[in-house]
Amino acid sequence: MAHIEFKNLRKEYGSTVAVKELNLEIDDGEFLVLVGPSGCGKTTTLRMIAGFEDPTIGEILMDGRVINELEPRDRNIGMVFQSHALFPHKTIYDNIEFGLRMKKIPAEERRIIVKEVAEMVHITPLLNKRPGQLSGGESQRVALARTLVTKPSTFLLDEPLSSLDAKLRRELRAEVDRLHTRLRTTFVYVTHDQEEAMTLADRIVVMNNGEIEQQGTPMDIYSNPKSYFVADFFGSPSMNLINGEIVEENNKLAFKNNQLKVQIPDHFSDKVSGKVTLGIRPEHVKIKSDGGEIQDVIDLVEPMGKDTLLYFKAGAERPFIVIIEGLVTNDFKSGQSVGLDFPDDKVFLFNEHGQRL
Amino acid sequence: MGSNNLAGTSVNSTREMTRARAIKRFKWITISPIVVIFLVVLMPALILQLYFSFFGWTVYLGSWLDAEFVGFEIFEEVLTDERLGWAVIRSLYFSFGSTVGCFLVGFGLALLMYRPFKGNAFYYIMFIIPMLTVPIVVAYTGEMLLYQNGPINGILSSLLGHDIKVSWLADADIALTTVMIMEIWNWTPFSFIIMIAGLASLPKEPQEAAQILGAGKFRVFFEIQLPLLRPVILLALILRFLEAMAEYPKIWSLFQGGPGSVTETIPVLIYLTTWNYFEISKGAAQSYVVMILMILIVLGAIWVLRREKTNLDQMYK
Amino acid sequence: MRLNKRNKKYIFEGFRYSTLTIWLVIVGFPLFWIVGTSFKPDAEWFAWPPVYWSETPTLSNYANVWMGKEELTVTQYAQSMQKPWKALGNSTLVALVSTSLSVFFGAILAYGVSRYQVLTEARMFQLLMLRMVPPIVIVAPLSLHYSTLGLLDTHLGLILVYFLTTLPYAVWMTKSFIDEIPMEIEQAAEILGASKWRTIWEVVLPLARSGLVATFLFILILTWSEYLLALLLSKTEVVTLPVELSKYEGSTEGRVYGRQAALAVGITIPLIIIGIFIRKHLARGFSFGMVRR
Repeated sequence: MAHIEFKNLRKEYGSTVAVKELNLEIDDGEFLVLVGPSGCGKTTTLRMIAGFEDPTIGEILMDGRVINELEPRDRNIGMVFQSHALFPHKTIYDNIEFGLRMKKIPAEERRIIVKEVAEMVHITPLLNKRPGQLSGGESQRVALARTLVTKPSTFLLDEPLSSLDAKLRRELRAEVDRLHTRLRTTFVYVTHDQEEAMTLADRIVVMNNGEIEQQGTPMDIYSNPKSYFVADFFGSPSMNLINGEIVEENNKLAFKNNQLKVQIPDHFSDKVSGKVTLGIRPEHVKIKSDGGEIQDVIDLVEPMGKDTLLYFKAGAERPFIVIIEGLVTNDFKSGQSVGLDFPDDKVFLFNEHGQRL
Repeated sequence: MGSNNLAGTSVNSTREMTRARAIKRFKWITISPIVVIFLVVLMPALILQLYFSFFGWTVYLGSWLDAEFVGFEIFEEVLTDERLGWAVIRSLYFSFGSTVGCFLVGFGLALLMYRPFKGNAFYYIMFIIPMLTVPIVVAYTGEMLLYQNGPINGILSSLLGHDIKVSWLADADIALTTVMIMEIWNWTPFSFIIMIAGLASLPKEPQEAAQILGAGKFRVFFEIQLPLLRPVILLALILRFLEAMAEYPKIWSLFQGGPGSVTETIPVLIYLTTWNYFEISKGAAQSYVVMILMILIVLGAIWVLRREKTNLDQMYK
Repeated sequence: MRLNKRNKKYIFEGFRYSTLTIWLVIVGFPLFWIVGTSFKPDAEWFAWPPVYWSETPTLSNYANVWMGKEELTVTQYAQSMQKPWKALGNSTLVALVSTSLSVFFGAILAYGVSRYQVLTEARMFQLLMLRMVPPIVIVAPLSLHYSTLGLLDTHLGLILVYFLTTLPYAVWMTKSFIDEIPMEIEQAAEILGASKWRTIWEVVLPLARSGLVATFLFILILTWSEYLLALLLSKTEVVTLPVELSKYEGSTEGRVYGRQAALAVGITIPLIIIGIFIRKHLARGFSFGMVRR
């Protein structure tokens, strides 16, 4: 258990600023995910918690104590790396046992704990092998086991699943989730994968360019993005974002681009004007075989199994995607013209600077 | 013909055969010139050497073919010669000493320098210069420094307040050690470069993982870094040791084996026997004995290095 | 003073810089000395207390050695031996040719080993160890053999020997650079219709170019500074610089430190420049299979 706090954290490397003015509190027992594109500062932040990087300015506190000056080994943390980082010349057993030896725990007890932990992550048959003989998934499980033995109050995970294939990723993701539920310790998890963030997090912190763009529960982030960046980042397939401008028509505001025109829902203030980007998620667009707010021609039909994706042009640079439940390839064909409806409460508008209106 | 496929076996076989043939052709084309040169240049010399070991010959005899067959007489003489035994001991002392010295200094420097820091490049450049200095130049520079009236004695005198004139080059007790120190100066960069490369290539994350798990800096070094560095360390030691056994320019140009015979290492002895005393056959026999000794050492070295390589291959798959 | 993270860092930094500087002095002083000596007039060569920095620097040593200005003392050595420019020419010729041969054949052989294992791992190590047998054991019969073949005191003779003795390094070092080139690139060329030789010449070697250059320069340094073989396989025609330097001291006038220093500096400067130039590659080339990236 550990309550972590960042106060005005800043990290510079020469003239590059990796982290700017970071202020954040992580609650005891929380599963916090730092997510963002490469170079956004999330890994740097994690490594500052660990003690492998020192902040240029600012303080890191754990349970109210400033820990800037503490060595990593004295911070009572555990860490799992992207590359599993197992000791290649030691057996799996020795790898896991390592932390216990550092704590000077007697041999008998060590044996018991190692066996326990190996059971917990299902790697008992591997104990006598060496890392070179293990698969990617097995290695990461061992990495988890190795870090569990010291019973740290905080777990740091640096993109631990990035090097695995999709299926393994899902399996181990569930493993991590289970572990957190069981241990109830603070987890700080870094990833660039929005799906991982959405499924694992109690709270998500979206970082971009060294700053926090937005933080909140997965629900918040998904349904209430505060910026173009966050809206675009989360969701698979991503939110449809069309560029255009506001025009006035019959005393009502409408969104217009070179192909379509949509009335702007009333809950937007009268002040919206100029160049804007309209956003709506693929699952929120309603298809009407006749009528509808706008008409468009289906470009491509993609059957995904559980759902079907319909691609439209909609006057945007990126394909405009609509998701329909079920395998409906018979009902929709490329070249077909259909009506699209944008429910009022699901429409987003972003100004030129990416802010939500 | 090697194909394990059941389907289309005949097509695969032909292609594989052509491929195998092409590779063989390639092998012959690239290796033959080298083998030819070897056979023309070195092989005869080796055979000649053997010949002289069994057929006593000195320069005074005229043609080689006049030499008499003497069986193992010369070998016996050589193997019971105390002088050869001493030469071997001196060579071993010199080689071990300079290898260990080079390694300790080189490794130490590498440990201090493998992580980036300010001024890194400057120090690195300066530190590799000694290896680029021609050994004979090192010899003469050494002489100029260590000569009785030279700066080393000068500095010592200034420090200690009265004239010190250590006879670095002419004192029988320290001569061999003096040249050993020169060798260390000359070749430390070799170990240095290899060890820095080795240290830098170690993955950082297992070390960080060890730190998180509670290991202090020393433990990380001894348990996590050093074991993985073993192949590189052995490489640095073995290569340097073997080259040190053959060292000639420094010892010869500065000492000619003296004072007395305290710096008479194996190369010096063979040189003296062959070119000063003109005892060609004896020199030949000595050379063969030394060659066999070195081959044994080399075989041992190969065995060690190959085992390390196999180990590495397994670890990193 | 608390022994926390920051203080530990300062102590370590202090330790590092002082240790490195100590070794810097140990490395630098001999270099400083020989350069300094090359500018010293006769009187200061043997002075006591030693002259650390000449008040009256002179270029006469350089002039004498490299320009042959001063009258030569009439001793048997002085007369025949003071020919640094000829030695320079010999060194350059022998070194360049033998290194080129070595790297050329070595690289092609290395390609074969890297892609098709034309040499087993055992053979590769044996090749490396071949170089490790001291040349002294074979020089005597070699010089006799050479004199029969008419190769004694010839450029060709020295070139051939240097070729054979540096080939192991050439093969090992270039192999490590060729190993770094992914097979896919060659397969792409093959699909596009290129023959193996063309692929090697136009695709693989250019990509390995910086490594090849580094290997070339390193072996150049080795051959340039080689002493024993050059000494015993040459008489008057093919004297190389290192041998020339050692003959300088044989004269009966005693040691001529200043002149030797001037000669030594001339020999060493080009090598130092080359070495600095290729320093990044040396590490990569020296791995001999013991370093994983």
